Amino acid sequence: MFHLLGQLPTQDSEIGVILQSLFSFAFIIYLFYAQRIQSMTMLRQIEVTLRKIKGLRDKGKETAISVIREMGKPERDPTPQVERFMEHFMIEPVGMDPAGVVGKLGQLLNVREFTFEKEVEVMAPEATDAERNNMENLLEASLALNVFYKVIRHYYLLGKKTMNIYVIMQIHMILPMIVQQIEAYSSALQAFSDGIPIGDSVGPIVAAKLMNGSEIREVAKEMVAGEITYEGRRVIVTKALGPGGSVGKPGDAVANLLKENEGKVSMLITVDAAGKLEGEEVGEIAEGVGAAIGGPGVEKYKMEKAATDYKVPMYAVAIKQGMEHVVAPLVEPLFDATDKAVASVKGLILDYSKEGDTVIVAGIGNTVGVAQ
Amino acid sequence: MSGDTTGIAGGASQNWVTLAVMIIVGALALFSLYMGFQAYGNSEIDTAFIYLIIGASGFVAIGYSFFRSKPPVKESLDAKQAEVITTLECPQCNLKRVRPFQRGDYIFKSDEPCTRCEGKMVITRIHTRKEEKKT
Repeated sequence: MFHLLGQLPTQDSEIGVILQSLFSFAFIIYLFYAQRIQSMTMLRQIEVTLRKIKGLRDKGKETAISVIREMGKPERDPTPQVERFMEHFMIEPVGMDPAGVVGKLGQLLNVREFTFEKEVEVMAPEATDAERNNMENLLEASLALNVFYKVIRHYYLLGKKTMNIYVIMQIHMILPMIVQQIEAYSSALQAFSDGIPIGDSVGPIVAAKLMNGSEIREVAKEMVAGEITYEGRRVIVTKALGPGGSVGKPGDAVANLLKENEGKVSMLITVDAAGKLEGEEVGEIAEGVGAAIGGPGVEKYKMEKAATDYKVPMYAVAIKQGMEHVVAPLVEPLFDATDKAVASVKGLILDYSKEGDTVIVAGIGNTVGVAQ
Repeated sequence: MSGDTTGIAGGASQNWVTLAVMIIVGALALFSLYMGFQAYGNSEIDTAFIYLIIGASGFVAIGYSFFRSKPPVKESLDAKQAEVITTLECPQCNLKRVRPFQRGDYIFKSDEPCTRCEGKMVITRIHTRKEEKKT
């Protein structure tokens, strides 16, 4: 058969001329439309991912609604309120005149927090405070999934409308990183609906292990502190009030504790989860200086300001973890790492303070599923 | 959001077009290579050269397209349900018990009676179960 086929495209054969024209045509098409074909392929891949993200976004909404119904026992259907919540936004303060921008941002964050608390209170009147905090976090995770979905859909539709390869490539190139974040937020749905500690809870777990059994008192909004004695040092440990999901106001707590002790504190140690680089082990412990605290920066600012005013040296203990661990249910290596972090904190206290000194230890992070 | 009607569909046909173009180019390139080898066998060196160049460039173009269009994300993007376990310890008799996580569990919660002594068990660990490595 191949031999017969081979006879077809000879110079004298009409079929040969047709085939040669087809070859040329196909290659010319490919030459001019290769970029367009590539754009269509990328659009297709974005579309497939977008469908999955839509599924996760919907799952987030459904989880939030079912948890609110189950725990909050609302009189009416919470769906419209949840949908309204998922569209909530915050306009960041203008940064053209940077003086006082932290205060302005702090004020906005307080209003946002207050609004969320009120929304959840209305949605779930029968829920306990801890359950409400978890619901608030759950709704925030759903809100984040909704934002991811809408931004990717925006670039997808814009790319489809303009067929501009550079618009399409922008989202296509960062898609794997975005998907990693989306997967993390989707894991957060399980954690916050059931009240399971998450990767970010390692700081509060370390603080809880240190302060467990001591007398607890409130030192700032949703922040508690307990005092222990370690090798002749007075150690004041602070963390967010658990076991509901909350990060509290660690900046205020540290500032209040420093003021309370008139600055007579020999060191301030912050313990927090930190992003690991590829190649680093989950649960690795690193020690350093400075305030180990993430977020928008308001609490970090307050902490640094107070420590600088009283000239208190700041030490930091970081527990390394991947982006996929931060809001997902706590994995075993991270739980094991909290024991190493406790040892690290004790080592720092012994190395950099002397008997009779006062030391402040702050466990930073979300305290979901962690009491004190 | 319930009235979310903005379509994200419409790309399925585009994918088929891309695939069809690739198949056509591939078939033509294969045929061209065959022709090239046959022409070479018949000592028609000039014709063989042209066919072989066309065939090879066709495959290079297809290979490049596949390379550039590798899926950027894995296929399964689902909300994962991790298996979470709770460890309870009795501070009096040191009995340790591990059970699946239940809603309402939290670290340092103490309300379950010890099955060995009269003490109360305290939750000391909550974390996901280690995933078994697939063999």
